[in-house]
Amino acid sequence: MSGIEMSHDRKLTFAWLFLLVLTLGGGYLGETAEPGMAITLIVAAVIAIKGRMVINHFMELRDANQRIRRLVTAYFYVLPAMVIAVDLFGPWLSRLTSI
Amino acid sequence: MALATALPFLARAHHPEAFHEGPRRLATSAGVVNTVLMLTSSYFVARSMSAIRRNRQRQTLYWLAGALLCGIGYLVVKSIEFAWYSELGINGSTGIFFTTYYYLAFNHLVHVGWGSLGILWVMVRTWAGAYSPEDHEGLEAFACYWHTIDLAWLIIFPIAYVWH
Repeated sequence: MSGIEMSHDRKLTFAWLFLLVLTLGGGYLGETAEPGMAITLIVAAVIAIKGRMVINHFMELRDANQRIRRLVTAYFYVLPAMVIAVDLFGPWLSRLTSI
Repeated sequence: MALATALPFLARAHHPEAFHEGPRRLATSAGVVNTVLMLTSSYFVARSMSAIRRNRQRQTLYWLAGALLCGIGYLVVKSIEFAWYSELGINGSTGIFFTTYYYLAFNHLVHVGWGSLGILWVMVRTWAGAYSPEDHEGLEAFACYWHTIDLAWLIIFPIAYVWH
C-alpha cells in the first residue's frame, strides 16, 4: 500500500470517527436540550458540517466536476439556512405558503 | 427531491407546536443507532472504492460485506422502531409531525432496501472479477447512490429527532 493511499484511508477513518462524535453529540442534545434558537443553530451547523464531510471525503466530490460538486454542496448551504429561517420567520413563511 | 426536502420545513412553519412536541415522542436512541449504521456503511463503501483502486478484490468484497451488514442492521432497527411506535398507537395519522416523519423515514427506508440489494449486486460483480483499478464505474455509481442515501439520513435525523 503506497503512502498516498494510506493517507487517503486514514483521512476517511478520521472523517468517519468525527462524524460519529457529531452524531452522538446530536443524540445527547436531542434528549437533553430545551427548545430555542441555540438548538436550531446547532442543528443547522451539524447538518452543514456532516454534509460537507460526506461530500468531500466519502463521495470524493472535492476533485470531481465543479458544477456537480457545487450543486450537491449547495444543498448543505440551503438546508441549514432553511432550518434557521423557519425558526426566525416561521409565521411569515406560514402566511406566504397558505392557500 | 427539492419538494420532499422543503416539506418538513413548511410543515414546521405552519405547525410549530406539533414540531416542538413530536421529536420528544420519537426514540432518539434508535435514530442515533441508525445514523451510526448509515455513516459506517458509507465509510465501508468509501473504503471499498479505495481497495478496488489498489486491485485488492478480496478487501473490496469484505468492505462491501460490512456495508451490507450495516444496511441490514438499519432495516432491522427501523422495523423495530416502527413496531414500537405502533404499540404506542403512533402512526402516520397521529398528527402533522408524524405524517411528515413517516413520509420521510419510510421513503428513506425503501431507498436503503433498494440500496442493500445494490450492494449485493456489486458484491457479486466484485466476486466475479468485473472491477479493476482501471474500470470500476459500476462500483463508483453504486457508491454515489449509497452516499446520497447517507446524506438524506443526515438531514432527516437532526430535523426529526433533535430539532424540537
